[in-house]
Amino acid sequence: MLAVLSVEVRKLNRSLALLLAAAAPTLIAIFAFAMVLRSEKPSEWSMWIGSGTAIWAYFMLPMCVTALTALVAHMEHGPRSWDHLRALPVPRWTLYASKAICVIGLVVIMSAAVLAMTIGAVAVGGLVKPDAAAVGRLDLAAHAWVLAQMALAAVLMIALQFWTAIRFASFVPGLVLGIGGTFFAVVATSAKQGVFMPWQMPVNILATEAWRVQTALMLGGGLGLVVLAAAVIHLARREG
Amino acid sequence: MAAIETEGLTRIFGRRRVVDAVSMCVPDRAVYGFLGRNGAGKTTTMKMLIGLLRPTSGGARVCGVDVVRDRIGAARTIGALLEAHGFYVHLTGRENLDLTRRMLGLPATEIDRVLEVVDMLRDGGRRVSDYSLGMRQRLGIARAMLGAPPVLMLDEPTNGLDPDGIADMRRFLRALPERAGATVLLSSHLLGEIEQTASHVGIIHEGRLVLEGELARLKAELAPEIGLRVDDADRARAVLRGRDLTLVEDAEGLVARLRPGDDHDIVSAALNRDLIEAGVSVFAIAPRARSLEGIYRAASAIASHRQETV
Repeated sequence: MLAVLSVEVRKLNRSLALLLAAAAPTLIAIFAFAMVLRSEKPSEWSMWIGSGTAIWAYFMLPMCVTALTALVAHMEHGPRSWDHLRALPVPRWTLYASKAICVIGLVVIMSAAVLAMTIGAVAVGGLVKPDAAAVGRLDLAAHAWVLAQMALAAVLMIALQFWTAIRFASFVPGLVLGIGGTFFAVVATSAKQGVFMPWQMPVNILATEAWRVQTALMLGGGLGLVVLAAAVIHLARREG
Repeated sequence: MAAIETEGLTRIFGRRRVVDAVSMCVPDRAVYGFLGRNGAGKTTTMKMLIGLLRPTSGGARVCGVDVVRDRIGAARTIGALLEAHGFYVHLTGRENLDLTRRMLGLPATEIDRVLEVVDMLRDGGRRVSDYSLGMRQRLGIARAMLGAPPVLMLDEPTNGLDPDGIADMRRFLRALPERAGATVLLSSHLLGEIEQTASHVGIIHEGRLVLEGELARLKAELAPEIGLRVDDADRARAVLRGRDLTLVEDAEGLVARLRPGDDHDIVSAALNRDLIEAGVSVFAIAPRARSLEGIYRAASAIASHRQETV
């Protein structure tokens, strides 16, 4: 498994995955920087970080998962390398599991980058415009915990996107699913029923009602891991 | 022990029997030409041997390992070049080989070894996107040879190559058992390619293995033929009608197909005498080389006739 995983990481290193992983946190950071400059009075750190985290959860995260799963799938669909990989003397489930681990790993890295880059952007904004510099205590651990929970709640969405992207050689089904899911996550962000929709589970980590947070974690994380395991088993067992 | 052995290997897609009870035997260290027209079932058979498709019924063993019961064990004995190479074109040839090498847990020295076998040591550092089709085929063979598997399965290795590339590939494939110490299963729909490369041949026709054996032996068993170029083919046909042979006409003229065991020289002299005495001008009369094409045509015709009469 480790050998297959290391090969997957090497392939990702030589692809545009890192550019994609850097783009989303950078855009959120640029937006936060612009908002600081636009601001007339100082705001709490928690407001700035909360704002960046929310954008990440309801829009950027679903879009990035859609793009990342399409990317890792098309690394093999594009050159038609599945037959070569599946003919190798390695357990087939490791081929798919290593790809899924890479996607989850990149989501975790991107989550950390969202936090780090947003803090950096707000800090630089405060230096450029001292009147709008962030005030109050920066509770790094609490923000990191929220982002970690979001990543966990995103596992069901990742599993569904991953399954679709690998199952179909065309990138269209995965994109349609991802765009559709993101659309509802954006237009119905605060809908209570949204907690049952995989693409809205990460943003529900920010809900004030405890049951919504718990449901998002249980369904997104717990059911997500089950669906991900089912996806890996199904993909490994099917022909072609 | 045979390197590859199948028994009643069958694969049905929907209502279509694509591979029908194929029982083949590829001897150790042979270059086995798996011959058949496009869609005859060659690739499906190879995919079952590699473990990419499950047989509907029957079984197959590679180096004694059952490919269905122990896919990974069988895969360890096989290096495969498939129709779709699956190279990452933005990486170099060497980097592509390295990805597979790591998955197989082989030492880094393997890359130089296989690049040397396919004469690509100098080109290994170039991106695959800059490779010609022939170089990609050779890189595919290099990748199949990683870990020195005892069996190489090459699906249409000359597909898309130019005449020079085909000639190079033939020379390379002929030398493979000696250079790599491997048994080669080579699928193709090109008679010339198999004839000039293979030591053994298996002919698949509409999913059925209709003929199999050592090429030299099959050729020896083929009925001898005499080619005739005359001024009047119709008169020649009438003159030779009484003789115990079959007359056919092809692009090069008349062909007299003799009975097995007939002596070329004696029959040639007799035919020549009959024709001259009848006033037919004979421009050329010579034994035809026994070719794989003759074997293929005969085998396919018998198979087609059997199907029609069933």
